[in-house]
Amino acid sequence: MSAQTNTSGDGSLYAAHRKVYPREVAGRFARLRVLSILILLGIYYALPLVQWDGRQAVLFDLPARKFYLFGLSLWPQDFIYLAALLILAGLSLFFFTALFGRVWCGYACPQTVWTEAYLWMERKIEGKRNARMKLDRAPMSARKFRTKLIKHTIWILFSLWTGFTFVAYFTPIDELATGLVTFSLGPWELFWILFYSFATYGNAGFMREQVCIYMCPYARFQSAMFDSDTLIVAYHPERGEPRGPRRRGAEPASLGLGDCVDCNVCVQVCPTGIDIRDGLQYECIACSACIDACDDIMDKLSYPRGLIRYTTENSALGKGKRILRPRILVYATILLLLCGMLLTHIIQRIPLDLDVIRDRNALYRETRDGLIENVYTLKILNMDSRPHRYYIEADGVDGMLLATEKPEVEVAAGAVEEFVVRLQADEFNLEQQSQTVRFHLQAADVNHLRVTEEARFVGPGSNR
Amino acid sequence: MHPTASSRVSLTQQAIAVLWPSFITAIAASGAFFSAFHPRDLVPFNLDLELSPLAVYSIGFLLFWLFAALSSYGTFYFTLSNPTSDERKGE
Repeated sequence: MSAQTNTSGDGSLYAAHRKVYPREVAGRFARLRVLSILILLGIYYALPLVQWDGRQAVLFDLPARKFYLFGLSLWPQDFIYLAALLILAGLSLFFFTALFGRVWCGYACPQTVWTEAYLWMERKIEGKRNARMKLDRAPMSARKFRTKLIKHTIWILFSLWTGFTFVAYFTPIDELATGLVTFSLGPWELFWILFYSFATYGNAGFMREQVCIYMCPYARFQSAMFDSDTLIVAYHPERGEPRGPRRRGAEPASLGLGDCVDCNVCVQVCPTGIDIRDGLQYECIACSACIDACDDIMDKLSYPRGLIRYTTENSALGKGKRILRPRILVYATILLLLCGMLLTHIIQRIPLDLDVIRDRNALYRETRDGLIENVYTLKILNMDSRPHRYYIEADGVDGMLLATEKPEVEVAAGAVEEFVVRLQADEFNLEQQSQTVRFHLQAADVNHLRVTEEARFVGPGSNR
Repeated sequence: MHPTASSRVSLTQQAIAVLWPSFITAIAASGAFFSAFHPRDLVPFNLDLELSPLAVYSIGFLLFWLFAALSSYGTFYFTLSNPTSDERKGE
């Protein structure tokens, strides 16, 4: 993989940019890509509309600091799960990259998905590749202005819908829709809708392949996950060269030619504007448009398909395919282990939290009965989706008494309840001036809903 | 500082080189910061601002972005206007 830019030492960061006009392409991989794009766009736009238990199924409720993922509600304390999910996503990317190369780039990356959607709109409005190039070369006219105006209007509307949907992952979509139609949207909601819309419009409408080539970190380091058995899109030079035009039906061998007719269609369909025949390049997002295009030409010439095809470096060299290799096994093992750990943690997660805050106004006081008393504020956080009644116990000092106005506390779903408890112990049972006591919070209805929290119990000092 | 490399890179590309990495950094920084701190507990300079949580998150993110961008710009500036670079020696 070689970067073609900036090798001349002239100091320029990027090569001079020429607009890429990808030619439309049909074929089996194009159908697969369209299917993938439709499914992913469908999920993106429909997910905020899905309801679950009377609330939005997927909602990152920032003001309330709660994340809802279908049946699961996550609190800031559960930050670790989100971090684990991100690590899992990263590892999956490693794993799939090692196996299938840049399938992510070609079929699933938001940059590709939205770029294809915007290209599709562009094609519908401005026409095919040649028509688009002609339109851009032509001087401004009423027709050109009208065509461009329609395109940008539709792009902007689509961008606004995208931005609106994005914010709907953070603010319930019904509130957002109501705010929109009654012009009572919060300033920050409006800001983020416009921000995300602008980013979509710019990235999918204008930046396109430049994001992949110049801005994407993954494109830069993916070569570290590649090996000679990774699936790549490659041209078959032994079969294709020497390339050259010929009359239909001519036998290439008799002309001293390979199978490549040098029609340049593979270059025209490329969304990043490269020539796959120059070998593997880091600009290649493995979208396989050139495979479909070349197969089509081969069919027309009655040549066998696959002059450009999915292959691996080893199998292109005739060394055969190897799927199970140490790299794959290592990635798969780590991935499975992490998945297992995360799942076990989520299943065993106790949706209950107890915070104990010692009263800082007085170290201790003595009751009328001569007992040493410490005061604590207990904060119960019920992270479950239904209310529970809890009772509190404490131990750590022999014969310690627990006094509270509420022996049982009812906490609503997703609510925090605060109350005060007093611990009283006989001075003679205290081993140290300050010793550890444990509070146990137990749900009355569910056995495994039990948490323990430690605190300090302070007395006058050892009398023994 | 002519003819340093930065004068030959378009302004858009310079802006992206500064704003894009800092944008990603700001997302990570806001995520880490606001997981630990509740907007309610943040009272800058004892000011009574009465901001909504979303406003605090947004302003927090934009501030992280600003500072990360300043750092990015510093790196960009010092790399591309390095006085010992080949361009300077050639003058």
